[in-house]
Amino acid sequence: MQTSDLLKSYLVDTNTWDEMYVHSDVRQQYHSVVEFLQQMNIEELNKKEEMAKKMFMSQGITFTVYSSGEGIEKIFPFDIIPRIITASEWSYIESGIRQRLKALNLFLKDVYNSQFILKDGVVPAEMIYSCPHFLREMHGFQVPHDIYVHVAGIDLIRDMDGTFYILEDNLRTPSGVSYMLENREITKRIFPDLIPKNNVRTVTEYPDILHRNLVSLSPRQTANPTIVLLTPGIYNSAYFEHTTLARLMGVELVEGRDLVVDNHRVYMKTTAGLQQVDVIYRRVDDEFLDPLVFRPDSMLGVAGLMSAYRKGNVAIVNAAGNGVADDKAIYTYVPAMIRYYLNEEPILKNVPTHQLADRDEREYVFSNMNRMVIKKTNESGGYGMLMGHTATEEEIKLYQAEILKDPRQYIAQPIISLSSAPCYMNGRLKPRRVDLRPYALCGPEGIQIVPGGLTRVALREGSLVVNSSQGGGSKDTWVLAS
Amino acid sequence: MLSRVADSLYWMSRYMERTDGILRMLRINYASSQDDIPDFSWKPVLRIFSYIKEEEAAAIANNSRAVLQYMVTDKENANSVLNMVTLARENARSVQDHITKELWQCLNEYYHTIRDVQKVRGLQTDDPISILDVLIRQGLLYYGITDVTMARGEGYAFINIGKFLERGVQSADILDIKFSDLQYDFTRMDTNYWKYLLLSISGYELYLKTYRSGFEARNVVELIVLNEDFPRSVIYSINQLQRYFERLKSDRNKEAYRKIDFMIGKIRSRVKYSTVESILHQGLHAYLNAVKEDLYEVGNAFNQHYFAYT
Repeated sequence: MQTSDLLKSYLVDTNTWDEMYVHSDVRQQYHSVVEFLQQMNIEELNKKEEMAKKMFMSQGITFTVYSSGEGIEKIFPFDIIPRIITASEWSYIESGIRQRLKALNLFLKDVYNSQFILKDGVVPAEMIYSCPHFLREMHGFQVPHDIYVHVAGIDLIRDMDGTFYILEDNLRTPSGVSYMLENREITKRIFPDLIPKNNVRTVTEYPDILHRNLVSLSPRQTANPTIVLLTPGIYNSAYFEHTTLARLMGVELVEGRDLVVDNHRVYMKTTAGLQQVDVIYRRVDDEFLDPLVFRPDSMLGVAGLMSAYRKGNVAIVNAAGNGVADDKAIYTYVPAMIRYYLNEEPILKNVPTHQLADRDEREYVFSNMNRMVIKKTNESGGYGMLMGHTATEEEIKLYQAEILKDPRQYIAQPIISLSSAPCYMNGRLKPRRVDLRPYALCGPEGIQIVPGGLTRVALREGSLVVNSSQGGGSKDTWVLAS
Repeated sequence: MLSRVADSLYWMSRYMERTDGILRMLRINYASSQDDIPDFSWKPVLRIFSYIKEEEAAAIANNSRAVLQYMVTDKENANSVLNMVTLARENARSVQDHITKELWQCLNEYYHTIRDVQKVRGLQTDDPISILDVLIRQGLLYYGITDVTMARGEGYAFINIGKFLERGVQSADILDIKFSDLQYDFTRMDTNYWKYLLLSISGYELYLKTYRSGFEARNVVELIVLNEDFPRSVIYSINQLQRYFERLKSDRNKEAYRKIDFMIGKIRSRVKYSTVESILHQGLHAYLNAVKEDLYEVGNAFNQHYFAYT
């Protein structure tokens, strides 16, 4: 294939898997997109980029930053070049995630009931009891259909040889799915006909599957159960996502103050009096759910919600207490869980992880700090993390002192380079590092993974951190049908 | 429908109706300030649509650009168009699953327009009417989209209840303050004064068609209070308020419905069975004040019976 100006400065870092290029040749799956882009001149592409920005703004796909008493609307950066995943890559990812979720669900059921896995010594009991997200309130309580994880957003990355690794299991309130849906809508507008021409699988059924699963969880046997989406409110940075999902599913978007618990039943306050609620898809963290059980100062939750939940009068999605399964220290044991519960070899690999609570591992990590990334076990969003290769000596010293105060709260992983994908930057394509978060939905009929997901991209040159809170953006993610 | 949602829809609609009223008033008053009118003053407009202090109003009353700045883009003025649109949008934002996507986008675009310094600069440097027209048209888009896309359910009823309650109060206010500006002197024959008042509420053509005898204060009162075909009259607003309220009738919440139904019925009878004579006999100010008080009471009753959620 010929390279035009657009591709001239596309220099893939050594020791990096590039999604588009292999030995300075364009991979098969990118052929038609690259051809299409080369027919356009820079002005046209700039116009497309501008158009995408405008659409995000006018549709209100924004988050608000409040500074000096005034709200400023910002959009999450969007890169117009789609990230493409082949059919065979996808079927591998899909089977790996399905296996992993099956095991994680069994683990949650086990850990909150009989605890065989602890008794058999596969996972050490102190790991569980020292996890701040382990909820005693969930012990011995049977959740509907034994499903704990209804919605999962599992993060994958690719090493230099293209192998997929699981980076994180997000099993609490994973966000970003609205960007999977909206990014696709934007691509349809800015690149007419490109999607059907490439046999890209559709992602639009996501809200329908989620809605069907929510309906099936209703404790009341009624044809038309009341389902609500519980949001922390308009000041939450994911508020746009909450309204989008509520709209697409046709369910009521509620805040904690709209709900009340009476006699272990949950009701919402309507213009025609109280109406009973059957299923709550909550986007509020565990600790804010019920001020009577968790944080007493929380205004976001509903007093008495946990008791209604435990009585089986309302279903909560995702189940409370899932944090014990996506804790970054317990993550190390997921391959063991897969072998223990399913008697299978894990399909998708874990990133090698060092427990800093273990003395030998800690010493090893401390003497190899510049090749490690250190994370807090209960933080997400790229907060509280140290990238060893860019940190200064002083930063490392301070961080080590922090670790020694409570080593259980930290893990270390070797720095994985992350694959790169083409991004449009001032008239040129440039490689930038990406990850992948597909969204999996578990219902009584099994696990469904919508073909697509959110590709997050580190827009800064050389950066390996894709989190939106750290200057990351996103891309439309295509899964090809064949 | 959630009480909070009903509350937000109602206020979104009230703020948008007020925005429309303010902009029309500003447009016509600016035009009249360019006409040869002796002692033209912005004071009545400032009194109708803001809580500005007497001495501050006096300071800018003859400075059109200062008034436009204060009424359209001033962040400190709680009733500026900027603040009204921001509030309408905030309300819309929290009920996006109950309004159509088009309606949300329309309000969102309105918000981004009014906050765009480039787009409203002309208010100070160029022909302000062009800018006011852009804003008024964005508001008309809001009305049109509401009408064309919104389902005729409870939400639509609350939107219209807010709209017509606001409009009724506004019309009564405009009339009252315009007359108080003349010390309620019904003998004054100031053609331009009435002409601009009628233009500002889009009632000029209807007035000409209804009354062939030139401008008379009593006819102006009759048109703005009692004309059932004039969409900004007090009686029209109350009729519509009643019409949309009746759609809320259901087996649940009977008690609340009965109470508010009684209140609206009472105001409607009071206005419907008034004549210009009876109004003037009672005193225009006292009459309009009583109507306004009653409408505020209805608003309070909605708060108590339909919107209470905290």
